[in-house]
Amino acid sequence: MSTTATRQHKVVSQQEWLAARKVLLEREKKLTRERDAIAAERRALPWIKVKKDYVFDTPGGKKTLADLFDGRSQLLVYHLMFAPDWDAACLGCSYVSDHFDGALQHLANRDVTLVAVSRAPLAKLLPFKQRMGWRFKWYSSFGTDFNRDFHVTFTKTEMAASKMYYNYKIQSFPMEEGQGLSAFYKDSAGNIFHTYSTYGRGVEPFINAYNLLDLAPKGRDEQNQEPIPMAWVRHHDKYENNYFEPVSSELAT
Amino acid sequence: MSTPATAKQHKVVSREEWVKARKELLAKEKRLTHERDALAAERRALPWVKVEKNYIFESPTGKKTLADLFDGRSQLIIYHFMFGPEWQEGCPSCSFLMDHTDGALIHLAQRDVAFAAVSHAPIDRIEPFKKRMGWKFNWVSSSDSDFNYDYHVSFTPEQKAKGKVEYNFDRMEFPSTEGPGISVFYQDKNGDIFHTYSAYARGTETAVTTYNYLDLVPKGRDEDHLPFTMAWVRHHDRYDSGYLADANRPYWPDSTDLKSPLR
Repeated sequence: MSTTATRQHKVVSQQEWLAARKVLLEREKKLTRERDAIAAERRALPWIKVKKDYVFDTPGGKKTLADLFDGRSQLLVYHLMFAPDWDAACLGCSYVSDHFDGALQHLANRDVTLVAVSRAPLAKLLPFKQRMGWRFKWYSSFGTDFNRDFHVTFTKTEMAASKMYYNYKIQSFPMEEGQGLSAFYKDSAGNIFHTYSTYGRGVEPFINAYNLLDLAPKGRDEQNQEPIPMAWVRHHDKYENNYFEPVSSELAT
Repeated sequence: MSTPATAKQHKVVSREEWVKARKELLAKEKRLTHERDALAAERRALPWVKVEKNYIFESPTGKKTLADLFDGRSQLIIYHFMFGPEWQEGCPSCSFLMDHTDGALIHLAQRDVAFAAVSHAPIDRIEPFKKRMGWKFNWVSSSDSDFNYDYHVSFTPEQKAKGKVEYNFDRMEFPSTEGPGISVFYQDKNGDIFHTYSAYARGTETAVTTYNYLDLVPKGRDEDHLPFTMAWVRHHDRYDSGYLADANRPYWPDSTDLKSPLR
């Protein structure tokens, strides 16, 4: 961890700080408005009609994509990386998922259902969910095209060629699973539309730990983390002994 | 709730056409992410102010100094939770924000950050409410200190009587005796404490991840028709009944005053 020595940092009077803070405030307000404007552009995106009948494995049996809306008109699906032969969910995805539960009731009251979908079979998801103490709904897309169609699972051929379509471009990606968030809308006639998907750093605003670290003196403090910025992240029950649990050979290296 | 856009009102296109539009938006989203990074760097470059007062807080286990709240870490984030001394419950909008905090704390601790909520209400009002809400974060009372006044999140009757109070680095009319905000402190090896940052009003909004999700869905935050932005928010155990906490709503504007505390 880097050291922020106070003797290196400028210490000023309240008055001088206030002047600097007000300059920054104007820039912060501008960013807030840009965020609002981009959210409006997102809502203006066209939609695509979903024509396939996706069926998921859930603790209550088979459910269709329509069922996942749970009576609401908007559905958010977090593509949580958990390949069928992994023993645990990806660390970064678990870090994201640790922040879901607090939002669920509030989202429900804005007509939004938030769920997670992974490719691993339910028999792997459920014990892990219990271990992590998560309450959000988590479904398995095992044996369906869902993950492929939303570009969060890659084939062995794609991996061998280092050519995966992820985050709207062909690129090399280190694992067979990718993470992201997809939004769907269901109209009163029961038609379902894919409205939006985001990948990569697009999910960062849901990681409240990052939102708060961005306010702190040391920030995210990841410049020395190898091989990825999130290398410091563990499953939340494994920080005490700094235990690193490999979820796949790729992640362990 | 406003009428959802129906499919016949909304443009439906082929995947190819959608991807083209999505990529254009992606470029803008990436620019926004980079601006956010740049702004976080500017925040870290802000000068600091040495904290000269010895603030004392009431905790469930007795008196705590500001230094104690760091809990062995060098960085402290404080959420100024609106809960006046006479109120029955904490402000619903602050409760909304704080519902998103517990999941982050264990990860923040790994990044050398301690967290505490601070309210003006006495600790014996805070504790039962915290228990009811099922929260785990550290929450202390500043009832016997100047802390809330010094960080511009509590206003005296005299200040309120003058019409305008100092909030969000400005002078404004404010609908409540308490205001929301986030303040950040650093403690060096000698035990000196520095105030590094404070944010108020919409400056705290990124910590409300429900809003970040709503910014991705077709209906968005869906607040345009409401008297103020967070008028739909209830304590998370009160959505079914729709019950508004204190009958006199000390944390919310009167129906005649449409300004939100978070605007």
